[in-house]
Amino acid sequence: MTTTTDASVDDAGTTRRDRGLDVVGLLARLFLGGVLVYAGAVKIPRPLTSERAVQAYEIFPMELAGWIGLALPYLEVVLGVLLILGLFTRVSAALSTLLMLAFIIGISQAWARGLTIDCGCFGGGGQIGAEETKYPQEIARDASFALAGAWLWWRPRSLASLDRVLFGQ
Amino acid sequence: MAKKSSAPASNARQAKIQAAQKQQGGGANKIVVATVVLVVAIIAVVAGVIWVEQSKQDEITGGGNALPPGVSELGAGFPAFADVTPNEGAPTLDLYEDFQCPACASFEALLGPTIEELATAGDIRLVYHVKNFLDDNLRNDSSTRAGNAAFCAADAGKFQEYHDQLYAQQPATEGDGFSNETLTSIATSVGISGDALTTWEGCLKAGRYTDYVNSVEEASFQDGVRGTPTVRINGEEIELAAIQTPDLLKQAVEVATK
Repeated sequence: MTTTTDASVDDAGTTRRDRGLDVVGLLARLFLGGVLVYAGAVKIPRPLTSERAVQAYEIFPMELAGWIGLALPYLEVVLGVLLILGLFTRVSAALSTLLMLAFIIGISQAWARGLTIDCGCFGGGGQIGAEETKYPQEIARDASFALAGAWLWWRPRSLASLDRVLFGQ
Repeated sequence: MAKKSSAPASNARQAKIQAAQKQQGGGANKIVVATVVLVVAIIAVVAGVIWVEQSKQDEITGGGNALPPGVSELGAGFPAFADVTPNEGAPTLDLYEDFQCPACASFEALLGPTIEELATAGDIRLVYHVKNFLDDNLRNDSSTRAGNAAFCAADAGKFQEYHDQLYAQQPATEGDGFSNETLTSIATSVGISGDALTTWEGCLKAGRYTDYVNSVEEASFQDGVRGTPTVRINGEEIELAAIQTPDLLKQAVEVATK
């Protein structure tokens, strides 16, 4: 029983569509949230590997890149948990989307500059052989995550979210 | 939704009232929830960092800070075949390896004998840089322990033999690590026995060269070594593709000989 001032709410067809879109929102939340929690959880117990994965991109000064490598896994887990719970969905989704775009830019510049690195997206990372690089796949994968994030940014409403329980949205 | 029949005007008003109620008292306060989330997140992060640091320290217990024979400072490589006098103009060959790295084992199987041949003949000054970054990635301490074991063997004059056996007996699955039994059986198989074996065992247990191995890891990374194995001849990195056969390696050494 949702209370909304939307005049079209009385139209049964639209309500069904809304519900369908809410399910899409839930799936997007679980997909992106699950990916983020997994990506962070793999990296947290491997701090040195995570530091070096960021340093391998050769974007930031070594020391700064090291700190980013230490902090990033925690940021991923926090955003992932918020998305799974559906808490502050719009803000979490916006930050996650920007994060994914940043990853895509990072991978693209490594590719363009001729670096041969593993993206270190789910652990690992660092320099690899030239024939072992998977830049197109890595970018496509991150783009799919960004797409899920963009959907929730645009339409944060979803099924079974804490936002709805706590704030009635 | 049951009051469909009521007048549109009153329906809209009621909706407005309900919406207003929700914003005021019905739902939770967003700022309060956000604060709670933030506090929980910060506590989780701090606890996580402390836990990671703690487990890192637990892994390296009783680490010593001894330098292997022939090494004058932390971070520097280990000069192999110290008893060989290099020929005039012989280039320095720096080899960066991690005992748990499968690519290093393949490299050793292919080129190890040639490298040792060149070093024995005095055609190169061979320097090993024993790294341990795979410990972090594989969540074990085998690279550090194997490094310790090899330098403890160096105290008994058996570094090269021990080094070769570590690669020959590298676990088939990356991440399985070296058991203490394997490390000890290698020690006896390369001819460390009696008092020397007791010393070797004490050295390994004390982690006598842990600081040294950590320092080589750090120094080589600072020096631009981004993977293993890395080969440098007179400080210049050699593409592995350019030394795919023993003959190509010999040629590369010859070119670098002054």
